[in-house]
Amino acid sequence: MKVTYNWLKDFVEIAISPSALSEKLTMAGIEVKAVVENSGDSVFEIEVTSNRPDWLSIAGLAREVSAITGKRLKRHPDASPVLAKSRQHTEYAIRIEDKTDCPVYTARIIEGVKVAPSPAWLKERLEMVGCRSVNNIVDITNYVLFEMGEPLHAFDADRLQGPCVAVRRARSAEKLVTIDGQERNLSPGVLVITDEKKPVALAGIMGGKDTEVTAATGTVLLEAAIFNPLIVRRGRQLLGIQSEASYRFERSIDWASVDAASLRASAMIIEIAGGKLVQAKRSGSLKRASRSIPLAVDKASRVLGTDITPRQARSMLSSLGFGVKAIGSKGLKVTPPSYRADVKEDVDLIEEIARISGYTKIPTTLPGFIVQEAAVGISDPVRSIKKILVSLGLDEVITHSIVNRGILDGLWRGEGEVLELENPLNKEQDVLRPTLVPSLLGCVAYNLRQKQESIAIFEIAKTYARSGARLSEEYALAIALCGEKKIWHSGGCIQDKPGLLHLKGVIESLFARLGITGYKLAWNEQESIALFQMGSAVLGTLRTLEPALLERFEIKNRGVFVAELAVTELLRHRRVSRRFIPLPRYPAMNRDVSVTVKDSVPAGTLKDAIVRHGGSLLEEAEIIDFYTGKQIENGFKNITFSCRYRSAERTLTEEEVNPVHRAVTEALVREFQARIR
Amino acid sequence: MPGYDSKPIREEIERAAQGINSSRELEEFKIKYLGRKGVLAQLTASIPQLAPSERAAFGKEINALKEKIALLVAEKQGSFAGSVSVSSKTPVDVTMPGIAQPVGRIHVLTQLIEEICDIFVRMGFLVMEGPEVESEYNNFTGLNIPLEHPSREAFDTFYLKRAPQDKERFLLRSQTSPVQVRAMKAYKPPLAVVAPGRVYRPDAVDASHSFMFHQIEGFMVDRGITFADLKGTLELFAKTVFGKDISMRFRPHFFPFTEPSAEVDISCIICKGKGCSVCGRKGWLEILGSGMIHPQVFRNVGYDPSRYTGFAFGMGVERIAMLRYGINDIRLFFENDARFLKEF
Repeated sequence: MKVTYNWLKDFVEIAISPSALSEKLTMAGIEVKAVVENSGDSVFEIEVTSNRPDWLSIAGLAREVSAITGKRLKRHPDASPVLAKSRQHTEYAIRIEDKTDCPVYTARIIEGVKVAPSPAWLKERLEMVGCRSVNNIVDITNYVLFEMGEPLHAFDADRLQGPCVAVRRARSAEKLVTIDGQERNLSPGVLVITDEKKPVALAGIMGGKDTEVTAATGTVLLEAAIFNPLIVRRGRQLLGIQSEASYRFERSIDWASVDAASLRASAMIIEIAGGKLVQAKRSGSLKRASRSIPLAVDKASRVLGTDITPRQARSMLSSLGFGVKAIGSKGLKVTPPSYRADVKEDVDLIEEIARISGYTKIPTTLPGFIVQEAAVGISDPVRSIKKILVSLGLDEVITHSIVNRGILDGLWRGEGEVLELENPLNKEQDVLRPTLVPSLLGCVAYNLRQKQESIAIFEIAKTYARSGARLSEEYALAIALCGEKKIWHSGGCIQDKPGLLHLKGVIESLFARLGITGYKLAWNEQESIALFQMGSAVLGTLRTLEPALLERFEIKNRGVFVAELAVTELLRHRRVSRRFIPLPRYPAMNRDVSVTVKDSVPAGTLKDAIVRHGGSLLEEAEIIDFYTGKQIENGFKNITFSCRYRSAERTLTEEEVNPVHRAVTEALVREFQARIR
Repeated sequence: MPGYDSKPIREEIERAAQGINSSRELEEFKIKYLGRKGVLAQLTASIPQLAPSERAAFGKEINALKEKIALLVAEKQGSFAGSVSVSSKTPVDVTMPGIAQPVGRIHVLTQLIEEICDIFVRMGFLVMEGPEVESEYNNFTGLNIPLEHPSREAFDTFYLKRAPQDKERFLLRSQTSPVQVRAMKAYKPPLAVVAPGRVYRPDAVDASHSFMFHQIEGFMVDRGITFADLKGTLELFAKTVFGKDISMRFRPHFFPFTEPSAEVDISCIICKGKGCSVCGRKGWLEILGSGMIHPQVFRNVGYDPSRYTGFAFGMGVERIAMLRYGINDIRLFFENDARFLKEF
């Protein structure tokens, strides 16, 4: 909202500069976004929070300025134009269908006005606060709206059929052309003002074109009313329009300003546009019961952490227009003024005290340390997983949780349904992702376009799905590898292309660090996907993506390898407590065995056989070399295992180890038709 | 050589092996026994001179010796792996690039979230998380935000499509504050919690808006918690993150779930408060919203507002990261350009 320095000065003495005032307002909760000099005045652009509709007027801000600067308000005698005799003797009637929609409606009839352009001072003030000048009558209603915060509307009374005004819900299929020339389709959600026949205005939002004040207008019906904030809000949402009036009605209006504003506008009309006031009609009562709130002043001290005396509290609250009475030595009975509907309980008063004395005056202290039983949350283990992955050379990415349903094709075969948004920003982002994989592919594609050659990324984030009435939201970990990597060794540099086994290696290292053991990696032929299984549970999957699928992400001629794991499953199977395993006291004896077998024999099966036959002396069997190629027959591969034999009780002798290793070797020959090299 | 006894030579080999103390000596040992003119080669060369019946046994002996030597060499090699064979006199082109090992990075937002949470954890706060798909109650009503009220405007919200079986309407949380409601319903005071996480608002994406961003919520409830405590706690936080030299100010503001409420500014870290384009010539940067927890929130979670007081605060992580690192476009956080990630 915009206000001007000089306009404020009409209502309160100001002895400080615009910039000093701007600072004071900001520190009292009226944030001044900008101050702009304009023809000898200063225009303040302020932000008014939704709880303070009373600041949406010059008079209301002036009250605040008075309280925070200690300067007196300038009292203006209430305007009271004399009621004159009408020449036409037309009696206007007001009918309200439902008092909850419109508790009060007042109408003043001014006869014999001369509609003309506004005087320069009026035009200028309105333009400074960003309001376009129309004619003297309309400008006066706007001027009073800005000045007093009560929206008014002037009808051309001669164009109202009846003669009457009624307030009711619009009927389906009714239409109204508003003053901006737009035809509006109405519905029962919208409150309207009608004459005898048809809607003539959207109550609290905008007037109708047909009854607007024009150069031909001679008699004006001046409306000042209270409309239910909810109905104004719903109406303007339904119709998609907002106005200075609806903005104020939605935030609720000071009942005490209804008549004052109507009188002030009437007096201004008579003064500027001539004419005389001939009727003043009202339906509904403007009287409201006053409420009082008890305040224990020591509670203010307890909440704020600084001493407030009853005297200070009393003087600060009085300066804001609150009625204050003492109850005992420490209690106050506080009656908020009519324009402070936001003040409902004692903490609201405590805020006023803090605000007026200044937040700056409140000391800074540190609270006592709160000792709590540490709840086992997920953030610590998630953090440790991230650390492990980073130590393996992967970068963490953060991608959007809202994705396009189409990109899930071929990338999600999970259980349940995808969660759809009711009001997506656009069609490209319409569902909550049930898998992180498409987002990572997006990242891979982006980085390839940026000519990044080696991409190793992961994300840990929520995935979402619905099964029946249950909505699930679970942390997933996804990893993607793509591109080439330079590997230096003592003799030079080679290019390495990561493959599925690199990805498996990352996950194995992660599992090892988390203490996850006993899992199996099973190949699902049908879906070309590898599953990490722990008993019957699936910890996650590992796959090489199809080129056709990658093309959807504009990734061409590249291998991309992705894994996705369920974080809660990983955490369920991780070893939380660790026991020290004594380091070996006796030396190990190593025996290598190099076998040539058919390609179809899995390395894991060979290893299983070695472990089986190696017995208790075999500590570990590790693949140390692998070869397929020209030196070897087509359809065969060569694998070298290094078998480490050790005993925890003694130094092993060759006589003990050799027979075992021979048994291992013979078993490989026997079971896999292996040729020993 | 009938009845060749390999025992003496086996003993000789073992003795020789024991005396090896450097890789040079090991190399000599290998040449002596396994070399082209070495001891074993000579023995092998003598095979044709043997009677055919003895050849096989002799060959076996030689093979056993070979294995023995290979084993000893392997064991010895292991004992001085790497170190000894490199002479400090071997010329190295030190202008060659060092052989880099891959180093991954934690995303800058995660780094900042962890840093901020750790500051509060040191003050006794627990880290908790809540779901991103929330109920209207936890996101709005429980926090004293009426469903039909202008104060809702500040929290435009994504809703989920309602399925017939849903008893209520679900939304994507527009703030991390629902964690207050959840934590307070689950635990009795005293309670001090920080809750980081993703939040969502249907804002069109541009350099300063994103429909998804991160917030950190914090709150503390006990008997006797004051606004002064809120100021002290947040000052400690801001000075830890932005440096001891900053100044701070608390401005009255309105949040439905706190009363009194305050917005917190720090002196502009770019111009030191003189006024620049980053702070909009004001010299101040808004970094968070805060206040004393509204008694209605306490009533909603079953806490007695006459016994307990508490403070709460919330901040946008992207905003703080952008201010601290001078990042000018919020979209950079979610594009994940490897070069961007590696900068932090």
